[in-house]
Amino acid sequence: MIVAEQKPLEELIRTIAPYHRVLILGCGTCMTVCDAGGEREVSFLRHALQLAEAKGSNGAHTFTEYTVKRQCDYEFLDPLADRISDVDAVLSLGCGIGVQTIAERFPDIPVLPGVNTSFMGASKEWGVWDERCAACGDCRLEETGGICPITRCTKGILNGPCAGTKNGKCEANQDMDCAWVLIYRRLERLGQLEKMRRYYPPRNFLAVPRPKRITSKASIDTGEDDG
Amino acid sequence: MYSPANDNQDYRASRGERYVDHSFMPPCQVACPLRMDVREYVDLVAQGKIMEALQVIRNGNPFPSICAYVCTHPCEDTCRRSQVDKPVAIRALKRFAVEFGGDRMIQAEAETTRQEKVAIVGSGPAGMACAYYLRKLGYPATIFEAHSELGGMLRAGIPQYRLPRDVLDVEVKRLTQMGVEIRTDTRVVSTDLLFDLGYRAIFITIGAHQSLRMGIEGEESPGVIDGATFLREVNLGLKPSLGKRVAVVGGGNVAIDAARTAGRLGTKKVSIIYRRTRAEMPADPTEVEFALGEGIKIRYLVTPTGIKRKDGLLSVTCVKMELGEPDESGRRRPEPIKDSDFTEEVDTLIMAIGQAPQTPADFRVRTGKGSTIQVDPVTLITNRPGVFAGGDAVTGPATVTEALAAGKLAASRIDDYLQHRYPLADREEKKSLDSELLPETIEMIRKIGRVEPSVLSTRQRVKSFEPVELVYDWETAVNEARRCLRCGMGAEILFQDKCATCLTCLRVCPYHVPYLDESGTIQIPVEQCQACGICVAECPAKAIVLRKPYDRRSINEELDHILKSAAESKSKPFIVGFCCQYGLFGTGTLAGMWREARAGAWIVPVLCVAKVEADHILRAFEMGAGGVFIAGCGEQCARENTDTWVHQRVAKVRKTLAQLGIEPERLQAFSPDTSQEDPARELDKFAELIGGLYLASVITQEVKS
Repeated sequence: MIVAEQKPLEELIRTIAPYHRVLILGCGTCMTVCDAGGEREVSFLRHALQLAEAKGSNGAHTFTEYTVKRQCDYEFLDPLADRISDVDAVLSLGCGIGVQTIAERFPDIPVLPGVNTSFMGASKEWGVWDERCAACGDCRLEETGGICPITRCTKGILNGPCAGTKNGKCEANQDMDCAWVLIYRRLERLGQLEKMRRYYPPRNFLAVPRPKRITSKASIDTGEDDG
Repeated sequence: MYSPANDNQDYRASRGERYVDHSFMPPCQVACPLRMDVREYVDLVAQGKIMEALQVIRNGNPFPSICAYVCTHPCEDTCRRSQVDKPVAIRALKRFAVEFGGDRMIQAEAETTRQEKVAIVGSGPAGMACAYYLRKLGYPATIFEAHSELGGMLRAGIPQYRLPRDVLDVEVKRLTQMGVEIRTDTRVVSTDLLFDLGYRAIFITIGAHQSLRMGIEGEESPGVIDGATFLREVNLGLKPSLGKRVAVVGGGNVAIDAARTAGRLGTKKVSIIYRRTRAEMPADPTEVEFALGEGIKIRYLVTPTGIKRKDGLLSVTCVKMELGEPDESGRRRPEPIKDSDFTEEVDTLIMAIGQAPQTPADFRVRTGKGSTIQVDPVTLITNRPGVFAGGDAVTGPATVTEALAAGKLAASRIDDYLQHRYPLADREEKKSLDSELLPETIEMIRKIGRVEPSVLSTRQRVKSFEPVELVYDWETAVNEARRCLRCGMGAEILFQDKCATCLTCLRVCPYHVPYLDESGTIQIPVEQCQACGICVAECPAKAIVLRKPYDRRSINEELDHILKSAAESKSKPFIVGFCCQYGLFGTGTLAGMWREARAGAWIVPVLCVAKVEADHILRAFEMGAGGVFIAGCGEQCARENTDTWVHQRVAKVRKTLAQLGIEPERLQAFSPDTSQEDPARELDKFAELIGGLYLASVITQEVKS
């Protein structure tokens, strides 16, 4: 799941400053789950902005709110057309993908990001999320006992641990587990410690072309050029 | 006026949906013959809304003051609180609502809109209820009563210490006010005569006054009296002389009533002889307790087999019994033990082994087992057109509440008959909730002991016919009512399409109620949910609502109202307080507190402070509140962790306030403690703080300008 957090209020107030009528748009999928931009947070942000408005008494802004099921697909955005025609800007509480999809779907209206899309992760417990995947596009988790060194090791090294590991913690952050110690323990449990002896050559991330595209359809030639 | 129809509109209005009550019928309501909305009125008592509680009670029950004294409360027997500790004292709470809500003062009115006259034969609870509802439906109704006063068993059977006669008189007076024609000292011997007099329908509710006999030798001797006759004589003002020793035969409520009445008439030694054990006794256990407390001996597994009269004394031969195989009533059949006979001498023997109806032959209605009148269970009609029957005459001796229910049903069936309508089946009722609480749910429910209303001391009791049970005081009643588990009105995912299956509800529920089913959908079983509202407030998709919203008004509506009132009032700054609608608010303590604290504090009563959402708090500031506080019910809370949730939201909102340059201390959470010397002090300090901040801001502005 994609995890994000809402931008600081001061930043949002600056962002919306040039626009009068602002639609605060929530997303009902990942952003709801990570407490960043679901219907509840949309409502909270709206009241916070209105409170700022009441306090600053410039009275220049009006806010409306709406939450779609998913901002990253056109079909979910169709019911927005009417609402968008009434506003000057959309403050999207969707992740970066949502913001861009809205910008593509409604090219005539400014779309402002309301959250900082942070990582792909899982919830540790109620209200706490941890990063788990860097979307490197070349998964090697079977070699590392199901623990990703690229994401969970601060240095992202493929042949760990480094000399900075201490009592199972990372030298960069005493509260953070050393990913390679976790990997060692897990492989030990699986009886696959020999995998620790293997050498993994450095990966050439430059060779991965961006942006990526995946097609699940058979033999496609859209002839489209996305630039 | 409380109106659930206005509730929860903030969620539903946004979806263009109308208010729907999805709650399940709680076991207490299912058990009640009158289908009283117990959960609703108990909740209103818990909020200190006594008038509204009485209104709800009166909606379902024509004579709540009578039930408040004598109901056998089947609701309490099924109350699910008994799985946690003890059932909620529902009847005592009803009594409280009736007395404090001023039931006596309520005027009943009725207008005659129909021509068809209806005759009611018998003025017991069924007859009175039928007359009440027939008048409400606009029919002219006449009650025929053989005795000189109305009430049937309520007057002739139930002793005054259980039902004070002034209570009954108020209800009779109300019937008269409604225009019910009352003919006392009139014994109806023929239904044909009533039809000849112009009555279009007849409701026979003659009760079951004929005592059954054991058929033993000497039963006719002087000094042997049947229970119903004895009670009738005493209740109608006679003082039969009983002698020093009285024995009562039987184990039902009449036996207990007769024994306790005998005690009050000055009899030194009163005993009850019952052929089974205490476990099988049909009498109300509380009444049995009271009887034992009053010095009445109960001898179990004994039955009389013969009576001889000698020198003015009765010599009663008894035999000891043992329990054998269960009989058709499911109770184990008592069987005599051989050669266990013994003899006892008493002055008076009261036989209270049951009663049956005695229907005049000229009524020409078909009777069945135990001489009861046979009726169609749906229409209550007998074998004769236009002749209906109900109450003990149909069921055999039963409870007051069952009789009231029969009378109420009869009124609507007579209406159907007279209007040539097909008898409408009952409205489709809500689904009822009957499964038990899970051990893990029970474990998380805070145990709060049941408080019984106080009773007169035994010494005071046995001397007089004063009512034994006293009424709760306000605070006790509110706290007792708070014990209600609100069965069947818990949380539901109303908007399944909005649910992102984020598992928040599953993780925050203090009772571990929500679970993930095999298809990966969150389920919140209504049987277990305790309706605390925490998941409602925490759901990031706002997909969860309570099946029956119990906030008195939606919080947003309440805030709108405050905004209007605050604009009109001159006091500045104003403070908004979100307060638990039970606890200190229910007892009125909180109201006193903020009145003392400072003018300009507005209270938003909420189901639980853990249910106050962060955006509600922000909204209060947005409206111009100088300060906002949240006050729970402290140590009376039904849950342990309410404060945790309040502090979560306070922290979140304070962070936002700080970002906006608003002093975070303008938002505070209190947990007022009744045991504190002055629960208002904290609030006073808060009001001072807000007042100070306001002054400071005014000065700063003036300096600037």
